[in-house]
Amino acid sequence: MKMKRYFLLLCCLGIAVTANASWLDQLQELADPESKERQILSGTTQVLSSSKEIDYATERTIGEALALESMQRFGRPVDNESLQRYVNLVGAVVAQSSLRSTIPYRFTVLDSPVQNAFAAPGGVIFISKALLGILADEAELAAVLAHEIGHVAGKHALKSTRRAQFLQGVGTITAATSGSKGKEYQALIGDLQSTLFDQGLDKNMEFEADLAAMETSYRAGYNPLAMIRVLERLQKLEATSIKKGSWFSTHPPLQQRIARLKKEGYRYPDAASLAELPERFQEKRK
Amino acid sequence: MRNVIVIVSICLLLSGCAATAGEQSPSTSSPASTASTAASRWVVSAGTTLKAAAVATSADIAPLAVGARVLVLENAGRWLKVQTAAGKSGWVFAGRLALTPPVAEAAASEGLLTDAARQSQIEVAQADSARSIRGLSAETENYARERGTPQEYRQALDRILARQVSQSEITAFKRAGKLGEYAQ
Repeated sequence: MKMKRYFLLLCCLGIAVTANASWLDQLQELADPESKERQILSGTTQVLSSSKEIDYATERTIGEALALESMQRFGRPVDNESLQRYVNLVGAVVAQSSLRSTIPYRFTVLDSPVQNAFAAPGGVIFISKALLGILADEAELAAVLAHEIGHVAGKHALKSTRRAQFLQGVGTITAATSGSKGKEYQALIGDLQSTLFDQGLDKNMEFEADLAAMETSYRAGYNPLAMIRVLERLQKLEATSIKKGSWFSTHPPLQQRIARLKKEGYRYPDAASLAELPERFQEKRK
Repeated sequence: MRNVIVIVSICLLLSGCAATAGEQSPSTSSPASTASTAASRWVVSAGTTLKAAAVATSADIAPLAVGARVLVLENAGRWLKVQTAAGKSGWVFAGRLALTPPVAEAAASEGLLTDAARQSQIEVAQADSARSIRGLSAETENYARERGTPQEYRQALDRILARQVSQSEITAFKRAGKLGEYAQ
């Protein structure tokens, strides 16, 4: 009788635990010390407490320093004022529909052969001429820019480095960028560069930005499925493209990103009726 | 035997809780699954106004601040009839609202800066609205000097920061592209 009781107890506990398998999966992933989630989590608990208090002026100043480094690494802005203004207008339209719409964004096309787009903290966003070159319409450009806006809104770059903590004890951003603190500030910018250009952000941050891209471009009035088209086109080009510093090397596998987004397509039953604007896009890109 | 019944019912209760928790957690992060039940939305776009009718050209009733919460009264596709906290009702383009609140900027008191520079976001926004090519901020210039960043990149960044588009240009651009509330 006693044995029977324990057996029953075990069975029931089993039911209780397996009832939430996804929770279990997450737990297992966290328990694995090699997992990126675990590494991020141990870092973020500390980093988050400091990054959430970083005010906007500081965030923007960090973004400007990173912008200087980005141009030296990837190339100068393309010398085409009409194109740069157009990209800023598309960016502004999606930024206004984003979850972080009140900060001033800037969008710039860089003269780079690497297919890439990235966001510096505070809203200074870049897209390479090579990535712009493979897009088919304005909805696809909106999707790429909305993905980057998603990183800015989530403050993903700053959440990825522990070095941001030193800002806590400094007092002013002016003090943080000069004198003896200047070296620490430069190390922070260096850290952010290797995160954005070499290692890439955490894969969950990328998936979050992909979902934000669909949601934001949809709110702005663009066909949100354009994001999937961009990723599918990149996938076709993957074998023949430059990998170093591109969306291929710093982002999760395209297959995974496409699969995740396709699962979300049902949210947008009216997608096909929304704007894509291929003519306006191709006219401006000339 | 009574003990067995007690154990079984406790365990069933536990499994029920676990299952409910498992179902609820994803739905709070997925906007679509809450859409059918949640009557609240948050204003995310700057310059949103409550309109008299479900058309972009209709009269403005009241401005709606970013972050304001509204109650959905009626859903007419891409336009929603809503009620504000002050009790006013009218129409808003659905794209200007989200199912989750927008990102809260760090409150001035939590900021890193000294009192003189506390209102950072307001100041940055004000500086931005009047931004012209005028040289980089002292902090960015400082960084560039210490890093030995060539002048041409400093000037390129200055041009990037000066390249602002006005709200009237954005509106004209949306109208020309029949985007969002200007769709026909």
